[in-house]
Amino acid sequence: MSDVLLQVDRVAKRFGGVQAVKSLSFELHRGEILGLLGPNGAGKTTAFNMIAGFIGPDAGRIALEGRDITGQRPWDVCKAGLARTFQLSRPFGGMSARENLVVGALVKTNDRQRSRDKADELLDFLGMSALADVDADNLTAFERRKIELGRALSTDPSLLLMDEVVAGATPQEAMTMVGLIQRVRDRGVTVLIIEHVMKVIMSLSDRVIVMHLGELIADGVPADVVSQPNVLQAYFGDDYVEAGA
Amino acid sequence: MTPRFNFLAITSLLLACIALPLVLHDEFLIHSVIMVLYFGYLASSWNLMCGYVGQISFGHSVFSGVGGYASVLLLTGMGWSPWLGALVGGIAAAVLSVAIGYPTMRLRGPYFALTTIAFAEIIRIWFENTDVVFGIQLKGAEGLSVPLIGTSWAKFQFESKVPYYYIILGMLVVVMTITWLMERSRLGVCLKAIRGDRDAAESLGINPTRYTLTALAMSAFMTALGGSFYAQFIRFINPERNMGTELSIDMALMSIIGGQGTVFGPLIGALFLAPLAEITRTYLGGQFAGLHLALYGLVLIVAVLYLPKGLLHPLRQVARRAFAKLRGGDAKGPQLPVPAVLPVQGDAK
Repeated sequence: MSDVLLQVDRVAKRFGGVQAVKSLSFELHRGEILGLLGPNGAGKTTAFNMIAGFIGPDAGRIALEGRDITGQRPWDVCKAGLARTFQLSRPFGGMSARENLVVGALVKTNDRQRSRDKADELLDFLGMSALADVDADNLTAFERRKIELGRALSTDPSLLLMDEVVAGATPQEAMTMVGLIQRVRDRGVTVLIIEHVMKVIMSLSDRVIVMHLGELIADGVPADVVSQPNVLQAYFGDDYVEAGA
Repeated sequence: MTPRFNFLAITSLLLACIALPLVLHDEFLIHSVIMVLYFGYLASSWNLMCGYVGQISFGHSVFSGVGGYASVLLLTGMGWSPWLGALVGGIAAAVLSVAIGYPTMRLRGPYFALTTIAFAEIIRIWFENTDVVFGIQLKGAEGLSVPLIGTSWAKFQFESKVPYYYIILGMLVVVMTITWLMERSRLGVCLKAIRGDRDAAESLGINPTRYTLTALAMSAFMTALGGSFYAQFIRFINPERNMGTELSIDMALMSIIGGQGTVFGPLIGALFLAPLAEITRTYLGGQFAGLHLALYGLVLIVAVLYLPKGLLHPLRQVARRAFAKLRGGDAKGPQLPVPAVLPVQGDAK
C-alpha cells in the first residue's frame, strides 16, 4: 500500500488572529482508512474543508492522485474524485431518497437511466431500497446520514472524507455505520474520517493521525497512538499525564 | 392519480381554454381573462428560476420592461415585426440578467432579493428620466404608444381581443411545458439540490453559479416575451407599469402563493390573485389607492401561515381524495412507508 492517493504538504490556514492549521503534512494511501483525531478546536474540520475545496489554504499544496487540487472549488474537487459528508447531515429536502442519490450520479453521467440505476444500486448497498421514494425530510436522523453517505458515493469517488459519521447515533447504529464504511473500502474507496467516538476509530482505522492546535502530533497504528503521552496530554491536559507517569 | 388521468385532465382543461372565446363574447371579460393568463405567464417565468433555486427576485419587472421597450422601439424606429422585437428583447433581458446575476447570485437570503430591487429600480428610474438616448425617443415617464399599423399576425395587431387570448394562452402553455421539462432535466435536479443545500450541492460537483445563471437567463428571456406581449396588447408602455416594483411583487407573490417550484402553482396563484387585484383596483382603487397591496399583504400572511407550500398543495390533496373516491378505493391516497422514528430536524452534533 505504498500508492499515495492524497498528499497534503505543509498546508496552513489562519482566521484573523487564530492559526487554525499550521504547516500540516500527511499522506493517505490508496485503499486505506485513515482516522483524523484531535480535541475540539484542533483544526480537523478546517483541514477537511481545505482538502474538499470549501476553504482555500494560505500556504501549502494538496494533491489528489498526483494532481494539484490546491484552492480548487468544491465542484472541481468533486470531479477530481473526492467526495465528502458533512458534520450535520444535509440531505436535500423535498426530494426523495432516490433523487438525492441521483444528484451525485449526475457528476459522472448525463444519462438519466444510468444515474437512476446507480442510485438504486447504492440504496440497496445501504439497505434502504424500501425507502427509495420517501422524502428525505421524512427519514430518521440515521437514515439521513446513510443517504448522505450514499450521495457522496454516487459521485464515484476515489477518496471519501467523512466528518463525524456517528454523531448522535445509537451504539447499534454506530456499529452498522462501521460495517458500512468497511464495505465502502471494499468497493475500492479510500476513506479519511474525522471521529470522536473512540470505539469507531479503533475498530475502523488502519492508521490514525492526531492534530492538536493546528499541528500534527502523532501518526501511527491506532493502538500505539492513543497511548502516546503527547496525545494523552492534548486530550486530557498536563495533570493527567503527570498523574499517570 | 395516474399519469393517464393527469394527461386526460390537462388535455380537457386545455381544450376548454381553447373553446372559451367561442362562448365568451364580452370584450371586458375576455380582456380580464387575458390579464389573468398574462400574470400566470409572468409568474411561471419568474418561477422558472426563483421557484426552483429558492432565491426570491423582486426585480423581474425590469426584464419585462426590456422586452416591452425592445419590441416597441424596434417597431417604431426600424419597422421590425413585434415578434422579432420580442425575441431581441428576450435576448437583451437574458444578457442583462446574467450581468445582474453574476455578482449577486453568490449573495444568500434577503441580500439577493434586496439587490434585485435596487437594480430594477435604478433601471426604472433611469428610463423614467431619460427622454432621448443616442437619438432614440424613450419619452421618459410619459411612455411610448404603439402606432396602429394595420391588423395582421405579422404586425401583432388585431381588432378583436381573441387573437391576443390565443397568443398568451400559447405562451403560457410553452412556459409551463418548459418548466415541466426542466423539472425532469439535469438542470432541474441540480437547481433543486442547490435549493436544498448549497454547500452539499457544491460537494456533489454542482457549480451553483453556472446552473442558477442558466435558469435566470431562461427566466429573464421568458419574462421579456411577456413584457413584449403586454406592450403590443395594451399598445402602450411606460416604466411604471411595465418595469415597476409592483409588477415584480405581483410575479413573486402569485408564484409563492400558488406554489413555487411547481408547474401549476404560479398559474393557480395568478387565477386567485389577479382577479382579486383587478376587483379591488376597479371598485376601491379610486378611494383607497394602494388598497390592493394591503390585501396582497393579508393574503400573503394567511398563505405563509396556513399554506406554506402554496395553494396547489391542498388542491392536489383534495383532487387526490376525490380521485380515490371515484375509483371506489379508500380516500387515504397512496400508502407511504412510515418512518419508525419521527424525523429530527438537524441532528445533534
